[in-house]
Amino acid sequence: MAAVSEWRVKLVGRPSKDVSCPSIVKTRVIDTGLCCRCMACMAACPAAVRTGVGFEFEEREHVCVDCEICVRVCPRLDYKPLSGVGSYIEAVAGRSKRFEGQDGAMVTEILISAMEMGMIDRCIFVGRDEEWRTEVFHVRDVEQLEVPTLTGTKYTFAAAVPALREAVLNTKAGVGFVGTPCMVSAVRRLQKALAVFRRVKLVVGLFCTENFYWEDLIPFLEEKGVDIKKLVKTDISKGKFIATMTDGVVEFPVKELSKIMPSGCRFCTDFSAVESDVSVGSVGSKPGFSTVLVRNENAKAVLDYIRERGYAEFGEVSLEAVERLCNLKKKREANIKEAMQKGD
Amino acid sequence: MGIKRLKMPEYKLGDKVRWHAAALGTAFKEAFFPLTVTVQYPRERRKFPDNFRGYILFDIEKCINCWQCAFVCPANAIRMKEAPNKKYYPTIDYAKCIFCHFCVDSCVGGALRATKIHDVAYADVDEMLAETEQLMEPPEILREDKRYVEYVIEEDDVRLRRVKGQDYLVAEPPPRREYPMVCVCEDPESCTGCGTCADVCEHYAISISIEGEYKVIRIDGEKCVGCGLCVKECPLHVLKLVRR
Repeated sequence: MAAVSEWRVKLVGRPSKDVSCPSIVKTRVIDTGLCCRCMACMAACPAAVRTGVGFEFEEREHVCVDCEICVRVCPRLDYKPLSGVGSYIEAVAGRSKRFEGQDGAMVTEILISAMEMGMIDRCIFVGRDEEWRTEVFHVRDVEQLEVPTLTGTKYTFAAAVPALREAVLNTKAGVGFVGTPCMVSAVRRLQKALAVFRRVKLVVGLFCTENFYWEDLIPFLEEKGVDIKKLVKTDISKGKFIATMTDGVVEFPVKELSKIMPSGCRFCTDFSAVESDVSVGSVGSKPGFSTVLVRNENAKAVLDYIRERGYAEFGEVSLEAVERLCNLKKKREANIKEAMQKGD
Repeated sequence: MGIKRLKMPEYKLGDKVRWHAAALGTAFKEAFFPLTVTVQYPRERRKFPDNFRGYILFDIEKCINCWQCAFVCPANAIRMKEAPNKKYYPTIDYAKCIFCHFCVDSCVGGALRATKIHDVAYADVDEMLAETEQLMEPPEILREDKRYVEYVIEEDDVRLRRVKGQDYLVAEPPPRREYPMVCVCEDPESCTGCGTCADVCEHYAISISIEGEYKVIRIDGEKCVGCGLCVKECPLHVLKLVRR
């Protein structure tokens, strides 16, 4: 990287100077319901950093400096839906011997192993507070994982992508990231637009059918008789949502959750996080194991390291179940055309 | 390995008498012209070399609000406080200050200045926080010294020399050794083109223009004074100061 005193930034080509960038995002993404709340715009927005405004559109338009970066990084503007299992070089089922998590704790294992290898020096984990609000943690040491809420699935949106900004600006080696397919796409967009985000060296994608907003999910669960204070684990298995509490279990069919499904998920066809370095999920492997789809050499090196050290045990994986869910999610493509037309 | 016994040397009578006489002489000398190195503060004070680091003065006119002093302070003694004009100016907590004067060295506008005031003593901890207003004037000092004291290093000993007259309170600093800096972009691919740098630059050294499909950002090396304001404000840290 040569230091220069004159450089260029490509403009996106707006129809008119009077149209502000947040309003483009607002009319074409938020109003049409395409927005997946990945918060890539928040991670890049220079005005948001300086003024500390939130995700709310009105606030942001007020402080906008007209730099167009939100238009450049939004994965749902100029949306090219991805679907299918995607390309992979290896598919295995794994269970970590060191950590405990949702199923095989392979996400934790992969990120911590990458940290031990020196590929990354920090990674972003999502924890939760007592009321299951998500909190973002920058993990730089294995000891930090003693916080028991850091591992396991929360089924709630988290502001992990905006947290990447701080991580990439402070990192010496690289950053590890874990997120849903929409977040993975957002990170790839950020990396394309801004070189500083290319310091994210390892992106772990999660299998995802849909995710929920905290403000919707918690009242829904309470209605079902779940005491949030006592809730210890949430899980989706065999078409059922299972909420495990300290003194009991509440189960109900996943289909019932469709009424609180965020609109952004209705347009998402990516089940397996096609753009990630390695995808992990419980679908396709035995209980207690996680399916791991290694997609590039970078992730392969991490998996080889885990194998070599014997940190995890490996098993067989059946990709039919994964493919079935990928195809199920692909059917949502029909919704997209409708929404795109509405936005134009 | 055996033990080697040392034998007491045999001295001659003449040597013994000479040494005793020398010892008695030293005792007499100390009784009348003592060789102490204690400074009788506050009746006399030690004359320090020029630029011996002391109290710090602040010139509000020269401050460009870059916060560099607060960032560089290794003891976290400097806090920026908001003034009525919405700018932030430094306050120094002398309970924490280690008198390294990194702040003085790093001050771009030359707003912070070293003095020869070394009477930085307070009655209680709350007083030790010097607000911006207090930093602008030299503090009031009560002194009763009539003479100052200098250490003279002789061939084999240190001696005090007492001189009548008082030391100057504020010494003019020597001309600063300037390291001219200039701002450059080290990672143009991460630039969002937000224009924050151009906004904060007080010398109008950064210009942004739109040429066709591109936004062109230029740093005018002639105008740039190397203050680092843009480097601090850039949201993605793409700018850097380098030596000219």
